[in-house]
Amino acid sequence: MSVISFEVIYRGIFQKSLAVKISRTLILAAVKEGKPGISFGRYSDSPERNGIPAKQFGYIADNEEELETVAAQYEPKQVDISICVDDTLCKGVESWAWYGLQPINAVTKPGGTLIVTSNQKEDELVQHIHRRDTPYKLAIIPGEASFAGLWVYKDDGTDARCLAAALKAEPTMCSIASLESAIRENIGSETHIEAAREVYEDLRPVEIEPGQGNDEVPFTFELLKWHEMRQGVVIDGVGGHEGFRGGEGGYEPGRNPYFKKWSTRTMRPVVSFDKCTKCTLCWVACPDTCFDVTPDGFFDANMEACCGCGVCEAICPVKDCITMVNEVVFEERDSQWQMWQENKEDYDKYMDEKISVGKIEGRHPITGLGQAFSGIGIEMGHNPETAQVKSLQDLK
Amino acid sequence: MAETSEYNIGTQELPLMGKVNAIPEKAVEEYFTSGHRTCQGCESALIMRLMAKAAGPRSIILGSTGCMYVANTTYYSTPWVVPWMHTQLGSSGSAATGTAAALRALMRKGKMKEEPINVIAFCGDGGGIDMGVSSISAALMHAKYNLAIICYDNESYANTDIQISGASPWGANTTFTPPGKKFRIMHDCWKKNIAAMYAVGHTRCNYVATADASYPADLIDKVRKALAVKGPAFVHTLDPCPKGWDYDPFYSHKLGELAVETGLFPLWEMTDGALTYTGISARQVYGKRGRKPVREYLETQGRFHHFEEEDYEYFQSEVDKMWDDWMVPGVIPFKVNNPSKK
Ligand SMILES: Cc1ncc(C[n+]2csc(CCOP(=O)(O)OP(=O)(O)O)c2C)c(N)n1
Ligand code: SF4
Ligand code: SF4
Ligand code: SF4
Ligand SMILES: [Mg+2]
Repeated sequence: MSVISFEVIYRGIFQKSLAVKISRTLILAAVKEGKPGISFGRYSDSPERNGIPAKQFGYIADNEEELETVAAQYEPKQVDISICVDDTLCKGVESWAWYGLQPINAVTKPGGTLIVTSNQKEDELVQHIHRRDTPYKLAIIPGEASFAGLWVYKDDGTDARCLAAALKAEPTMCSIASLESAIRENIGSETHIEAAREVYEDLRPVEIEPGQGNDEVPFTFELLKWHEMRQGVVIDGVGGHEGFRGGEGGYEPGRNPYFKKWSTRTMRPVVSFDKCTKCTLCWVACPDTCFDVTPDGFFDANMEACCGCGVCEAICPVKDCITMVNEVVFEERDSQWQMWQENKEDYDKYMDEKISVGKIEGRHPITGLGQAFSGIGIEMGHNPETAQVKSLQDLK
Repeated sequence: MAETSEYNIGTQELPLMGKVNAIPEKAVEEYFTSGHRTCQGCESALIMRLMAKAAGPRSIILGSTGCMYVANTTYYSTPWVVPWMHTQLGSSGSAATGTAAALRALMRKGKMKEEPINVIAFCGDGGGIDMGVSSISAALMHAKYNLAIICYDNESYANTDIQISGASPWGANTTFTPPGKKFRIMHDCWKKNIAAMYAVGHTRCNYVATADASYPADLIDKVRKALAVKGPAFVHTLDPCPKGWDYDPFYSHKLGELAVETGLFPLWEMTDGALTYTGISARQVYGKRGRKPVREYLETQGRFHHFEEEDYEYFQSEVDKMWDDWMVPGVIPFKVNNPSKK
């Protein structure tokens, strides 16, 4: 029996259309060669929310019986290919359906391939990815994460490029010709096909050895079984409100311990306490109640709660006081205020360094139109008529 | 009146904020906290947080089905600190009345310590502007029950992936109204004027207000007034929703401001039958401040991305009518035909 299974790991809503397009087109390519397949979203990820990680799955089988056998499962326990369309998810996936932090490579088969769209290099990226006992391959498609909104599709070639990478990882799925015609029918222009070919030729997966990667133990917890639940499905409210970091003074709210927003954010606020006027606006406006009140009346964004919306940066009236910085440049979740208390010069250096490499710029109100023309693989992505392939060299 | 009807132990005394930087001093404690699964930049979640902050620890909160139920309290986990219970989609009014009536009866019969407990039922626009209108209307009839209904309006059935509701704005793209090649505008109703409708129709409801989380002190004070007044009260909030309105969550706060600055969502409160405009809306009504072109608000959202020049113009002309033609600007849309007749 030979069934090839894959998953697309993406950010809810922002990348929903992208993930569905990748998953469906791959199946349709295999169907062209008489192989039955199925593409489906994870039931419990729906309804999706902006930014909350979600998954799309697919199976390609040799015949109907094989397909029925695997499709009877709720979702695949292991997949041959994992496609991750936002590299900040390499820190782990905390989706609706999964309680705790699931490593990005959690269900990639031993020897299977993890494909990531990223501007990082393999050795940088692997530092974020949780280590495991079995080897796997890591393949990077160079480029930024492709984000769009519910009503806008960012047609920048990420779809075609991911498909080519998947085929390179599992060449038995279908022929290149079938993939190309599926891209032509379901995605569009010749430009996409050119972009796909380029990835197919250039992709160089690297072997990741057992034990290589981030040694943090991902946070998990046991779910209650149905017979352990209380009558009326009653649960305790959140308790544990106390002073800042359990000490005297300040205020730190208790928080839902089962859902931390470690992997919902693609960026985090960095606060310059020297500039802060304690105007309180960031604290008031945060929908996620992230800011702990410090004993001296500052507001310290707690990285166990922040989803990276950027509202605090938008509202702060002081120039350059709050800066949103790409999540990939951080390994720690420490209190920024405590770092600043311990050594102000060091903190300023830390802050400047993070901002210089990871500051989020070029915002556009409508998601998907922001940086639409910066291009990942295709320039002028919104108009297939005028779109041009951007060579990988240009991206370097 | 008979003895039982008069029994009302009153409401809590809740000091007002006045200005935003008084909030950490007067209400630092959180009663709706982190660890919900709403979208990045969800203003409805901020409404929950500020509403709970306003209500404080001695409160019972009921919530009808929608994002603020589904995204907040998934499988055996919660961000609520105060007691919270889910109620059916159209039932926020009945849930509030039932809870307030139960508390009143238990206290009157001496089965529970006499103490004013805030009862809030929240609902989305689907729950409070479409499906739950009759149950809310019933709840606003009974002066003997102290309760507040808060309708958090994200202008669609958001939880089920953005279907139009009676609160969706004219022309918006939703899953039920995608702009087509032949017909660009698939939703041609003007938003239901819900707060005024409840205010005008329920003369024993002593407090009705509109609010917006971009003006947090005003919002908290309105929730506190709704809880302090004896009998039922209704507050309608407008909440930018990055998923359904389709914008970068960074702009959530800005869009809440623009809704008021453009005159599209006037802020007001009605206390014992007297109307007061609040914040920027008050200055706009008295001509001390202009209204920004509504285009600034519309252009920032993907759901209006298909708009053409004539659509912006039509939208602006409708907003202008609200201010120039309505009997009570931005609130009550009548003209009086025979004003001189005494
Ligand atoms: C009687 C009933 N009909 C339909 C549903 C399905 N449903 C669940 S949430 C929801 C959307 C509710 O919209 P709204 O009240 O505006 O809240 P929002 O999701 O926008 O926060 C719907 C239709 C339901 N739960 N109950
Ligand atoms: S980015 Fe700022 S406002 Fe948004 S969740 Fe994080 S701390 Fe809160
Ligand atoms: S908004 Fe800016 S200035 Fe105001 S308290 Fe927050 S960090 Fe300080
Ligand atoms: S869909 Fe809208 S209301 Fe629902 S969680 Fe997302 S932002 Fe909030
Ligand atoms: Mg709604």
